[in-house]
Amino acid sequence: MIELKHVTKVFNRGRPNEYIAVDDVSLHLQGCCATVFKGPSGSGKTTLLSMIGCMTKPTSGRVTVGEREVTSLPERFLTSIRRSAFGFVFQQFNLVRGISALENVMLPAYPSGERHAALRDRALELLAAFDVAHRSDAHVEWLSGGEAQRVAIARALINNPVIIIADEPTAHLDTKLSKDFLSWMERLRSEGRTVLMASHDPLIYESEFVDRIVEMRDGRIVAGG
Amino acid sequence: MILHPGILSLLVGTIAVAAMVLYGACFGVRLLRSWDLSSGSEAQILLERRTYLVSTMTAYAFGFELISLFLLIFTAEDLQRLFVGAMCAAGTFNVNQWGYPALLLKILAVVLSGLWLVVNHADSRGFDYPLIRKKYALLAAMAPVIVVEAFCTVAWFSGLEANVITSCCGSLFSAESQGVASTIAALPAAPAGIGFYAMLAATVAAGLYFLKRGGMAGIVFSALSMGLLVVSVVALISLFSLYFYALPTHHCPFCLLQGEYHYVGYLLYIALLAGVITGTGGGFFSAIRLPASLEAWLPGYQKRLTAVALIFYILFGAVVTAGVLNSDLVMEWSISVSSDK
Repeated sequence: MIELKHVTKVFNRGRPNEYIAVDDVSLHLQGCCATVFKGPSGSGKTTLLSMIGCMTKPTSGRVTVGEREVTSLPERFLTSIRRSAFGFVFQQFNLVRGISALENVMLPAYPSGERHAALRDRALELLAAFDVAHRSDAHVEWLSGGEAQRVAIARALINNPVIIIADEPTAHLDTKLSKDFLSWMERLRSEGRTVLMASHDPLIYESEFVDRIVEMRDGRIVAGG
Repeated sequence: MILHPGILSLLVGTIAVAAMVLYGACFGVRLLRSWDLSSGSEAQILLERRTYLVSTMTAYAFGFELISLFLLIFTAEDLQRLFVGAMCAAGTFNVNQWGYPALLLKILAVVLSGLWLVVNHADSRGFDYPLIRKKYALLAAMAPVIVVEAFCTVAWFSGLEANVITSCCGSLFSAESQGVASTIAALPAAPAGIGFYAMLAATVAAGLYFLKRGGMAGIVFSALSMGLLVVSVVALISLFSLYFYALPTHHCPFCLLQGEYHYVGYLLYIALLAGVITGTGGGFFSAIRLPASLEAWLPGYQKRLTAVALIFYILFGAVVTAGVLNSDLVMEWSISVSSDK
């Protein structure tokens, strides 16, 4: 489903502050599984997920998602793949302040040109599925941590992606909210989606539903590759 | 004189375009040598990233190139009042030996730039850079034309001397003078007119056939489009200009750009050049094997280009025909006209 071939990412190539974030990583990830990238800060987890999620290009190497090799794609095609294939859940949730929870969920689907009424219905269904429909009209800055988390997951799912990418999703959550988050991820995996998470939180990588743990250090895979 | 706004903008623009095209061509040569999409090497990924920048930059440069032809003619028109003997842009271009080469190379550069933009647009629609080699080969081939054009333009502007006595269009495009322009002007009316309408009819018929059936008819349409450019310019100088001026001996292709003639020249030249670029570009793709990633999209693009070309050709034909029908000049097409303005 996802294949990485000799992927390297170097920041500031040729400058005194050159930094190798990911170093010659090759990996094959099956679809419909939950994989956790585990490792300390600076080990390259986030950079690797960014490359898989088509948010950044590697310095060398190729990434294949499904049947499509994505690293060579021109930007206009990457935008479309990012929108349709991936759902992102960020560490800080990155909800857009000043607009409602419902509008936040609908936002990633606007470029698709879907009819507004149909999109709104779908967004409300997602909010209901995550038990936050009653807060749909609330501005995101009024949401509690748990509500914001569920809105962020609903937003990641609005384009019905097959792959969910979560980068340090529990870094700012207490134990209860972290467990809630994991139960949502388990549900998504059971629906047949691929879940990729980067974390150094034992709650995540010791979770029962995780199929595979890939351990990274200094940009390289040291276990589970 | 060099501080004239038109000259300044053309000098800066032309030199900038030449520099960008030269950079793009050098990059293109490097790309042609080492492009390998199956490789994940650092050099390949760098080429993929940079082609996005170079293509965008070149597209803007060529966008300016298209506009600059008309800025060049407009500037030459505006400057004619400074030269003794000049009555329109024809005299300004004749002030020194670089004027007409600069103009002719600019026209060639405009057609090539338009074609490159057509190919570039098609290439950007494929996920696997389907026309990248052809696009950069064309750019590399165009670079000498653009650079020499820039050189001629700079030489022409820097050599403009106000005390030079130049020739007027009546003498440059006289049927009794020597040279290519005079030879064209001396062509008899009947062959020029019948030749133009026959060529226009053949091109439109080929375009309509291609729109309906597709396939290799695109190559014929493309070739006829290029032929139509030449035939139209010849017919305009030798025949149709006479009707616009209502003078049996005035063949100048530049006076048509003046307000006195309702700036009809701009309409005619824009229609002709736009038609040739879209017509030749639309047919060009029939001569190559369709890349798999463009199989679904390219035939529709070709047909859109062809339809646009047909509209411009018909517009051109309609404007010159209207010029003939509404003119005060009545001429037998079998009679050759051969006296000066």
